[in-house]
Amino acid sequence: MNTLLLYFKREWQLLFRNTGALIQPLVFFIIIALLFPFSLPAEITLLQKIGGGIIWVAAVLASLLSLENMFQSDYQDGTLEQAIIHQRSLEMAMLGKVLAHWSATGLFLTVFSPLLCLTFNIPSEQIWVLFFGLLLGTPSLTLIGAVGAAITVTLRRGGVLIAIIILPLYIPVLIFGAGMLSQSAQGLEITSQLYTLAAIFVLAITLAPFAIASALRATIN
Amino acid sequence: MTALAATHKTDSDQCLLQGHDLHCVRGERSLFTGINVTVNRGQCLHIVGANGSGKTSLLRILCGLSSADSGTVLWRKQPLANNVDFNASTAYVGHKDGLKNELTAIENLRFQQQLEGINDEQALDDCLAQLKILYCADLSAQALSFGQRRRLAFARLLLSSKASSKTSSKVLWILDEPFTGIDIHGRALIEDLCVQHLSDGGAIVMTHHQSLDQSGLAKYRSELNLEAHGGNL
Repeated sequence: MNTLLLYFKREWQLLFRNTGALIQPLVFFIIIALLFPFSLPAEITLLQKIGGGIIWVAAVLASLLSLENMFQSDYQDGTLEQAIIHQRSLEMAMLGKVLAHWSATGLFLTVFSPLLCLTFNIPSEQIWVLFFGLLLGTPSLTLIGAVGAAITVTLRRGGVLIAIIILPLYIPVLIFGAGMLSQSAQGLEITSQLYTLAAIFVLAITLAPFAIASALRATIN
Repeated sequence: MTALAATHKTDSDQCLLQGHDLHCVRGERSLFTGINVTVNRGQCLHIVGANGSGKTSLLRILCGLSSADSGTVLWRKQPLANNVDFNASTAYVGHKDGLKNELTAIENLRFQQQLEGINDEQALDDCLAQLKILYCADLSAQALSFGQRRRLAFARLLLSSKASSKTSSKVLWILDEPFTGIDIHGRALIEDLCVQHLSDGGAIVMTHHQSLDQSGLAKYRSELNLEAHGGNL
């Protein structure tokens, strides 16, 4: 079977045996986004205006939360070593793993985001803009984040370091993702933002696997 | 120079792995220097040395997980970096078992088998039975004892050696302290597997703290003592 599919399947199996870790990012995402309406003045127009941006920031933080464990357990139990010395391509194996991670975090967040939009009273035509923005943006977040996770895999408490390395790299995705919302609120075209998010995704999915694999080879050394 | 008993076979097919003038530094300390190794078919290279003398580091260099600070390792006369033939022909069992806690014993093996591109349920049972852990097949790896996990790691090694097609069979086994945590029956079992592997033309590099003189491996054995190559600052 294809290396990518094999690792994708195994990662799903592992994620669904550990349901606690699986729902953590989702719950975190919902709670972070819900804290804002409580802490801000109760003006419907204000929440409408900033709601999309808040959901984007919450999505970024939630996908960051799940990154630390991405390669850590593989490193600790030695399966990562075995994957490195196996003749199958490490790049494809890790891409399968990262995509499985995305489908268990980013995809879940995206599916739940329309629900959060309701709490911010975001108009229904903008809910779709946010939904497709997240659908295009979160895979890039996970792929870029995985590079940071691979660099810090041997460190005991790499979480904060991952955040410091990775968050600046999330800024472009955030600008175009959240920018799309304010554009559409003013009734403007959003195709350019969509294309840019798609371009970032294509760039991330082609380059990240090589960066992840060489980061892992170098840190395991 | 080489601490190996010289083998007079010059046939290039016999010689699998060669390390020339290997040097390894960890932190400020030079672990070993000037190591030359040759591993031929049917040979069990036994690396000995005190704790911290660099046995594991040497093994990791030989299996391509780390790179030596100087010196070269050749697999069938080719360098190790990005060497698909080497990766397809080598199996490594290290301190870490390489097992997923969330998966059962048999699922761990099945994944390995799928990686080798084979689908044969019977072979999975056979491997577990050979290591006498068939009764653990449906237990999650987390529930296994240390010794059972070690046996399962060997079942995986055996599976990948058996399963591979002829062109890419695992000729070279690299074993780091293979008998740690394994009882006396298990040890005899693993020694038998090793002897079988060697007599089939395979090769083994292993570290082990006790002498192999009393074991079935004695006649294949050659010894490399790292303390004779101890580095200095």
